Amino acid sequence: MYRYIIKRLFLLIPVIIGVSFVVFFIMDIAPGDPAYMIASEEASIEEIEQIRHDLGLDRNLFLRYTSYLGGLLKGDLGVSYISKRDVFKTYMTRFPATLKLAFFSMIIAMIISIPLGIMSAVNHNTWKDSSSMVVALLGLSMPNFWLGLLLIIVFSLKLGLLPSGGDTSFFSIILPAITLGTGYTAHMTRTARSAMLDVIRQDYLRTARAKGVSEKKVVNKHALKNALIPIITVFGIQFSKVLGGAVLTETIFAWPGIGRLIVDSINQRDIPMVTGSIIMTTIFASVVIMMVDIVYAFVDPRIKAQYIKGGLK
Amino acid sequence: MSENAISLENTGSKHKISVSKKYVKRSPMAEIWRQVRKNKGAIVGLVILGLLVFMALTADLFYDYETEIIQQNISMRLQGPSWDHWMGTDDLGRDVMGRLIYGSRFSLSVGVVAVMVALLLGVTLGAIAGYFGGLLDNIIMRFTDIFSSIPSILLAIAIVAALGQSTINLMIAIGVTSTPAFVRVARAAVLMVKNQEYIESAKAIGVRSYKIILVHVLPNSLSPIIVQATLRVASAIISAAGLSFLGLGVPAPEPEWGGMLAAGRGFIRDSNYLTLFPGMAIMITVLALNLFGDAVRDAMDPRLKK
Repeated sequence: MYRYIIKRLFLLIPVIIGVSFVVFFIMDIAPGDPAYMIASEEASIEEIEQIRHDLGLDRNLFLRYTSYLGGLLKGDLGVSYISKRDVFKTYMTRFPATLKLAFFSMIIAMIISIPLGIMSAVNHNTWKDSSSMVVALLGLSMPNFWLGLLLIIVFSLKLGLLPSGGDTSFFSIILPAITLGTGYTAHMTRTARSAMLDVIRQDYLRTARAKGVSEKKVVNKHALKNALIPIITVFGIQFSKVLGGAVLTETIFAWPGIGRLIVDSINQRDIPMVTGSIIMTTIFASVVIMMVDIVYAFVDPRIKAQYIKGGLK
Repeated sequence: MSENAISLENTGSKHKISVSKKYVKRSPMAEIWRQVRKNKGAIVGLVILGLLVFMALTADLFYDYETEIIQQNISMRLQGPSWDHWMGTDDLGRDVMGRLIYGSRFSLSVGVVAVMVALLLGVTLGAIAGYFGGLLDNIIMRFTDIFSSIPSILLAIAIVAALGQSTINLMIAIGVTSTPAFVRVARAAVLMVKNQEYIESAKAIGVRSYKIILVHVLPNSLSPIIVQATLRVASAIISAAGLSFLGLGVPAPEPEWGGMLAAGRGFIRDSNYLTLFPGMAIMITVLALNLFGDAVRDAMDPRLKK
């Protein structure tokens, strides 16, 4: 088991190198000379040349990338053009807010989607099933930044119940978490339903019923356990997406996380900040997906056996 | 033997045995269309999409783009919905309904073109990876992994930031972020048909690889690619609106739905219709695409066949 975890961690390394190169390369095309961004307005050409040399911008892309990669391994992602602060430290101060938002939105998505999906599957092809599928489809089709604005209109402006932005009190997280969670709720409801539908007709459930196990127990104990694998898969993928996908929600609710950090940095053309933040977010997202793979083993002994044998790539 | 099996299986069921009917050979596409037609949601979706396309194409008959959609008219600013302006006017005095109708041109074209970009790139790479296998497959798939592990909205933001803000660059950015999905689907589909005998015989008579892929492999692995494309247009439209909302998509003063939402946000307290209508337009369009895409997917899923 531990060998498997270590193996997965090693497999992360080429992905991180690849991702950092791709992002570094893309951001390198961005217009605007960083030396001009840093220099004061009256700087002479020599001074700008000096800055360029100090930053190593006169070297070629490959050399700049390798020194960037070296920094990345040490947690050094350069310095912001605008605030002159360390990119890595700035990112880490913002990350907890995004993690908190992602966590709460996933909780909301789970609380709603799993029971709804089960109910849909158990009452397959009835009005309960079709109405919850219509709701899921609406949730899937609604752009979440619009939902956020609607929630602000209703709950902050009309009813005055909840704050419309910032992270000032416990209640601040409610609207952003609902906004971010809705799209994921819809997706997970569909997954939970189809996973349950796959399981619910299998022979071992018929046997359980025949033995006189109550319907409630059949559904909650026997069926749900086997339907959990696809649900966890989707949950993991969604959770990794939430980390990067909170950009719009954070912008709408002035949430002090990394999404807003990235958008603000883009608007200020703060390239090192954008590059560093995107790379870091990707790393965290990959770690989440890895953790989900490990959680499988705890849910499904069959997979655990495979991990231990080392037969699974 | 097979006829016997059929009649035995159906004894006692209410279904009539259709063996006696004349056998009609349908192409896979015709078969899928026949299934989709039965789905009410798909028809609703198609009708809405038809209306949207019709609106986008005929907008010029009802509005003059320069004077009514782009030109500012401050004396008419922020008027609520009325008979003259069914959806009111925005902060620069322009008719919201007219701008929404023109906006459908941007959303639909960005969605469709972005998916075309992804389709072309993804299917080419996926087909090459699946057909040739080996080292080439490995290289292409590792690159796909790298691109798909970057959260798609962040990748799109980075691309727009690098290339500059314009409608074309928005299409490229969303196209590139949607590509990995097509690579995977195309590769899997090609792997399914690659080892079949007809491909082998094509190879044996000396048909060139690219021709085998184009003429023999791809047409037989189209269905999952089509499903992916339909559903991707929907998510591309949401992403495009999101990027425009952030000020990284279609530049102002063009009437793009996401951009209109962003502009309306400043007046959310007193003129919330500016927030209401553009969002509704996005949702209806995406809903229509999802309804249709889901129906196509169900029609192609052999497990759901009755």
